Amino acid sequence: MFRDGCRTLLTGTAIVPLSFLPTLPLPASPLVLFGVLLIAGHIGGELVYRITSLPRITGYVLVGMLLGASGLKLLTPELTRIANVFVDIALGLVLFELGRRLDFKWLRHDPWLLVTGLVESALSFGFVFFALVYLGVDPVYAAAAAAIGVATSPAIVLLVTRELGAEGQITERTLALTAINSVISFVMVTMMLSWIHSQYRANWYTVFLHPVYLLLGSVALGFVANHIAKVLARWLRKHERHHFMLLLGLIIITVGCATVFKLSVVLALLAFGVMVRNLDERHDLMAVDMSQVEEMFFVVLFVVGGANLHVSDLLAGSVLAAAFIIARFVGKSLGVLTLTWFSGVRRRHAALLCMGLVPMSGFAVTMMQSAMAEHPEFGSKLGSIVLAAVVVLELIGPLMIQFALRRAGESGVELPDGR
Amino acid sequence: MADEMEFGGSAGNTMGVELELQILNTRDFNLARDADDLLDLVEKTEHVGAVKPEITESMIEVNSSIHERHETLLAELRGIRDAVSGAAQRLNLRVAGGGSHPFHKWTERRIYPTDRFKHLLDLYGYLAKQFTIFGQHIHLGCPSGDDALYLLHMLSRYVPHFIALSASSPFQQGEDTAYQSSRLNTVSAFPLSGQAPFIHAWGDFAAYFYKMRDLQIVDSMKDFYWDIRPKPEYGTVEIRVLDTPLTVERAALLAAYAQALAHYFLSTRPREPLRDVYLFYSYNRFQACRYGLSGIIADAYTQQRVELKQDIVTMLSQLAPHAQELGSTAALEELTDLVRAQRTDAGWLRTVFTAHGTMNDVARLQSDLWMGRNEGALPINGNGA
Repeated sequence: MFRDGCRTLLTGTAIVPLSFLPTLPLPASPLVLFGVLLIAGHIGGELVYRITSLPRITGYVLVGMLLGASGLKLLTPELTRIANVFVDIALGLVLFELGRRLDFKWLRHDPWLLVTGLVESALSFGFVFFALVYLGVDPVYAAAAAAIGVATSPAIVLLVTRELGAEGQITERTLALTAINSVISFVMVTMMLSWIHSQYRANWYTVFLHPVYLLLGSVALGFVANHIAKVLARWLRKHERHHFMLLLGLIIITVGCATVFKLSVVLALLAFGVMVRNLDERHDLMAVDMSQVEEMFFVVLFVVGGANLHVSDLLAGSVLAAAFIIARFVGKSLGVLTLTWFSGVRRRHAALLCMGLVPMSGFAVTMMQSAMAEHPEFGSKLGSIVLAAVVVLELIGPLMIQFALRRAGESGVELPDGR
Repeated sequence: MADEMEFGGSAGNTMGVELELQILNTRDFNLARDADDLLDLVEKTEHVGAVKPEITESMIEVNSSIHERHETLLAELRGIRDAVSGAAQRLNLRVAGGGSHPFHKWTERRIYPTDRFKHLLDLYGYLAKQFTIFGQHIHLGCPSGDDALYLLHMLSRYVPHFIALSASSPFQQGEDTAYQSSRLNTVSAFPLSGQAPFIHAWGDFAAYFYKMRDLQIVDSMKDFYWDIRPKPEYGTVEIRVLDTPLTVERAALLAAYAQALAHYFLSTRPREPLRDVYLFYSYNRFQACRYGLSGIIADAYTQQRVELKQDIVTMLSQLAPHAQELGSTAALEELTDLVRAQRTDAGWLRTVFTAHGTMNDVARLQSDLWMGRNEGALPINGNGA
């Protein structure tokens, strides 16, 4: 008995020596990755800010590009897939925040704001679509690209606004218009999926039911989250700490549920945010500030976003990119310049508002690609059309909105001359 | 005598009101920074008299024109309120009365960019940003400079009345201050605050002003932050101790009370100015700020202690014949009822806080009340001081 035991012990150690040590190759750890992205991004942001006083966000993207496909290739597609869970949380936080900024009461008191949002979205869609078709792009792809281009990047707008501590009409209107054009863009992209599916001769029920499931399911998920938030908030009583924990928990749960149910994280969280702001008749929920936690995820979001950018795309698609960027800017500006006057916005400020709507990021493209995962050739073809423009807009977008907010005198940083 | 100290006399029964208002965002009801855009839009949409910037970007000041009667003043104030509220809503802002914002942080305030306000920031440092408090000023017309000084010294005895009746700043920087009006404590920090000198002839007063100006202590009358100050340019005496009330209705009632007092003193000259008024002045002022209507003041004329509530009710009944002459009998009766019932704005704000539990809700309901959207909320004047 004893000898058996000894033998087992001995042979055991003999077969797997030092089994308590990790085996090679080391498995990829999401936690290490998160921490590294956070620190690398933060340092990059700080460097860019100190040297150039450009927005930190530009530094995050540059670090991503340095580590990613266009640079050292340390952030392989495999690793960015692992980071996706953090990207989802970050997007969830962004869209929730953006939803909280869309105030239906404001749209009622200033209907021109809503009209501006609708018209600038329609014009930028139309201009981009026709420009791309004119340049020989297949209408299906031109429409998909144009629909993606309707949205201003909520993450960039929010992050730059935060960094500047900006407050005022241009800040609020940029955020509101971003919220409106994001909703329109997401809905258009979702509807378009059915059209694209039909191009690939999918079953009729996929064509019809997929977008319906995505739209209604995501909104319903947001509604449920909002309902639970209100009920729990009432029970917890009004205290900043309670509401912070409650909302953060629910945001993460909603992101998780959206993924599990194959719904749209973006739409579900946007719906959640909008309902928190507009379906809270009894004012049960406090407008808690979650910026500290959000910032952490935003850094990772933009590093990963940068890693996914390919500088080679820029060279390959420079003509299309130029057409896309110009058509989008002209469409948006035309809408804003003609209609904001009715809202009582000064001309000079309207021009700044146009600049605020420039930022765009690549996540919409990534999302569309993943929604069309069963047709990878669609994704890669779409990518070749818009990604070059995304590289440019993700880099110059933050500069444009930073310039606009400073010029409007809405930056919270007080300059020596009092402005 | 140079122009600026020439007293442009005006009819003895006229009044005008200035109100400093809070601009809030609709998200968490903190102070916003949109004074510039709001002023721009108000000017564009409707003509509502003078609307001006104030020291920080979170405030605006609205002015009434000159009135002889309470009801026309009230009507004009309501018109101004509606116009400003309407413009604010188009910009997704709210407007509120009240002497202080319940929870804003003064470090986040930014000075409105004009030369004068930048100069004040240079001179007074952080006090300039802490000056983000909101007052009501009542102008009372006086036929001459001598009358103005007489009225000023008479009204000093009644400064605690105006403090207690308008008190609406129980909260500051997110805390209950235990005061009914905490706003005046902020004013007291300024070196040129306090009371006008005990001078009775306008010529002597002008000489005092020139002395101060030659020594470069002041530039203009504007630099005196006194509780009551003559305004030679308008031909008025200006009472400046009031918190902006939570409603224009109360603002108009208080103006009617001031008008009746002025009429009483200027038309009957019942007594002479007394230096003892200023002996007890700071104590009485503190009592009114701290305890409101329950404060106990020392009366220089009777050398007695008296509760403010009682003192006000007594004075209001004494003013009845003057109110009749001015057509403000109903207004003063309404004010008497409010005082008897001990209904104050500070009390209302504390009731709201107890009922809802957050300062954000206080600011929200405070602006609902100002903008006339308080249906279903608490009654206009909560109990208790």
